[in-house]
Amino acid sequence: MKHTQLYSRTFFFFWSGLFVFLLLVSGMAIAQTEGVDSLTNTPVRKYQQVKNTFESNLIIDDQSVMVPSKNTLEFDILHRFGIINNGYSNFYGLFAPPVIRLGFEYVPINNLQIGFGLCSNNMDLDLNGKYAIVKQSRGAIPVSVTYYGNIVIDTRSSSDFVERGDRLSYFNQLMVARKINSKLSVQTALSLSHFNNVPGYTDAEGVIRNTVMNDQFTWSLMGRYKLTEKMAILVDYDQPLTQNPTNNPHPNVAFGLEITTSSHCFQIIAGNGQYILPQLNAMNNQNDFSKGQYLLGFNMTKLWNF
Amino acid sequence: MKKIIFLSVCAGCAIICFSFIPDGKKTWNAPPSSASKTNPQKTISTESISDGKALYAKHCQSCHGKSGKGDGTKAFELKTEPGDFSKSIFQSQSDGAIFYKISEGRDDMPSFRKKIADANDIWNIVNYVRTLKK
Repeated sequence: MKHTQLYSRTFFFFWSGLFVFLLLVSGMAIAQTEGVDSLTNTPVRKYQQVKNTFESNLIIDDQSVMVPSKNTLEFDILHRFGIINNGYSNFYGLFAPPVIRLGFEYVPINNLQIGFGLCSNNMDLDLNGKYAIVKQSRGAIPVSVTYYGNIVIDTRSSSDFVERGDRLSYFNQLMVARKINSKLSVQTALSLSHFNNVPGYTDAEGVIRNTVMNDQFTWSLMGRYKLTEKMAILVDYDQPLTQNPTNNPHPNVAFGLEITTSSHCFQIIAGNGQYILPQLNAMNNQNDFSKGQYLLGFNMTKLWNF
Repeated sequence: MKKIIFLSVCAGCAIICFSFIPDGKKTWNAPPSSASKTNPQKTISTESISDGKALYAKHCQSCHGKSGKGDGTKAFELKTEPGDFSKSIFQSQSDGAIFYKISEGRDDMPSFRKKIADANDIWNIVNYVRTLKK
């Protein structure tokens, strides 16, 4: 009961804080109103938006503030090998059963992206949306702010579930990013993951208790440093904030090398995130980076513009 | 012997004459209405050059080369001459003409109107391409 009250309170504070924040930044967004150059009939913004804070929708295991331009279709292939410290027996994780996600995202209107994907872990189907609330502009707005959310449906056989709703989990993330200069961009994010169903155990008094909380708060910090115009180093760190009765997830630490072209982005990564979907890493990641439990992987994206 | 000399002179003349035949390069002129467009960025800022450079590296460099001489890694696969941005024949075009060519494309050169949706970004590339002048 005590835990339930705590969930409700944190849930309330998260959403009320988010609401107030969105109200504040929505006023800032008005300052970006476009005008038209009378001579050339070319749209000219009152303030010049800062472009390419990040080159891709993804920063290793997390989302970036970027939403591609309208009518862009993106195809994602995300791949995570097994942990490296099993050594030669599975060739340092490369021959271990991988986690793979195939996904599509589309931008039907300016600043809004919607998408779906299927992940090999539990055959999780995710429906996701991302909205760029505010974009960094020179001399006006110091940061970009973007919201990302998803609903994940565990599509395994119904015999694995008691209630239909047990299949569902949710992820909400508010990201704030700043392009410091042409080479360095940083991003921080606060996320809330919610699982309708979590594992339980029976204590000594015979009472059924949750091993972990249904709601998990996570704070994230990411960065990109460009080595050349087309190559960059990525860093991604997720710190779980919620204290669970048991099985606290480990922080996710990941590094990556990003190579971009006109239509593709490749990220080769090393990290300890066990999963691809963000709420699963936030809730269940038991790989401890300090014990060498890290793995290799890659993200590939292909863009089409219609 | 006279026959051999005569044939050699004929062959030499033929080679010289053929060397003046145009090599099939198609000229590419922007429509006057597009070429006459003026750059809305009245003063060219360092940010515009920097943004243009990043976009150029991402979208243009593989064909046009790092310094715009048409010697990118994909240039040899092209049927269309990618041009040399350092030369005066290219730089003598108006900003509007360069904007039009980036935006619309032709043959091997794709249209970037959809890929680079913000017109200001294309102007940034125009501004950067101007810096490649020798």
